[in-house]
Amino acid sequence: MGEKVLVVDDDADARLFSVTVLEEHGYTPLEASDGEEGLKMIRKEKPNLIILDIMMPRQSGIRLYRELKTDKSLKNIHVIVLSGISKRAFLRSQKALTDFGGPPVPEPEVYLEKPVKAEDLAKTIKQVIG
Amino acid sequence: MEIKKLLFVTKFEELCFDAVQSLLSLREAALDHIVFVNVIERDKVAMRRGTGYQKEEEIRLRETANIRFIDWAEGLYEQGMEVGVYIVVGSLVAEVIKAAQKEEADLIVIGRSHKSMLEQFYSRSEITELIRRTSTPVLVYKPIPENVIVLEKPFERPLLATDWSAASLRAVEYLKGLKDITQKIDVIHVASKKELTGSTTMEVQETRKEKRQKLEEICDILEAAGIEARSHVYIGDPVQEIEKAARECQATMVVLGSSGKAAWAEKWVGSIPRAIAEKSIYPTLLIPPEQV
Repeated sequence: MGEKVLVVDDDADARLFSVTVLEEHGYTPLEASDGEEGLKMIRKEKPNLIILDIMMPRQSGIRLYRELKTDKSLKNIHVIVLSGISKRAFLRSQKALTDFGGPPVPEPEVYLEKPVKAEDLAKTIKQVIG
Repeated sequence: MEIKKLLFVTKFEELCFDAVQSLLSLREAALDHIVFVNVIERDKVAMRRGTGYQKEEEIRLRETANIRFIDWAEGLYEQGMEVGVYIVVGSLVAEVIKAAQKEEADLIVIGRSHKSMLEQFYSRSEITELIRRTSTPVLVYKPIPENVIVLEKPFERPLLATDWSAASLRAVEYLKGLKDITQKIDVIHVASKKELTGSTTMEVQETRKEKRQKLEEICDILEAAGIEARSHVYIGDPVQEIEKAARECQATMVVLGSSGKAAWAEKWVGSIPRAIAEKSIYPTLLIPPEQV
């Protein structure tokens, strides 16, 4: 069994793409279709890596990322953001939430803008968790 | 009852981002989450004789909506708002009700249909149908009049429309010189619908990514000069989309590099800059190429 990687994305095609890449490289993929479902799975499954979309129903990746990085038991889980939302907007949003009184959170280890090539995603995953 | 989460239903004709922004005063009440809903009508992608289900058309329509919503969402995320999106194929009323239930929305905001009185007479109004079937309050929002703009400080929030021509890049340099009177610049490129081709979502997204990366380079130049900048990709007719972008970004002026292609009497004024200069309700700053 390879390391567990959770893909959180509301777009079924995008999930299928990431899951296929993960399976082909020996990882164990898990799937969630929004931030709320993603957080439940993270707490239950404790994956080694999360591939996180941002713009999703119910709870966005921005809020999920904050929850992860401010939770002592979850903050060390690796995160690759894979989204159509720009990194610039992501960082500004986190700054705004911090300005409103929330705790500061670190930048994501990797931020990829959709779409990404399969080989690039595989290479990035390997760099992050080996 | 607090309005914490609203569902904003749009077909992009009747309600755009300026309408969203005008609702942000609800933040003082409790609003912190906006969910966008775009329903692609079934008949736009339905089976046709000889061609079957219009899968590529569905992908194109989905991505066109997605590009708009990404742009809107970025603007709201940057203000600390939470944003969600539904782009679905189906019946408007049924899909809106489904999304409202799933999201536990406190308010549905919907625009008036553009159907004529005669059409309304023969087909039940979607709004009437929605109100009849949902338990969520519904706000029927009216478009903001097109001729309402503030002109006190025309250089405060310019919208720079670019096609990466030499004149467009010159416009960037020109705007850098206005940094002391400029609060923010929105940089936009309008891609044509024909450019959104491909049999997969990823192929279509590649077009947006490529345009966006080029726009981000311009934003980097402006931000390095001390001016806040944001990039936007629009899809469609350049004249209409630039006007729409100006409204959505609450711009005070439209800035364009004019085409160097035209060799006739007007010399540097290309067809798009000319149309905008003539038709737009915004002050329009045209930057010619270096050598006319």
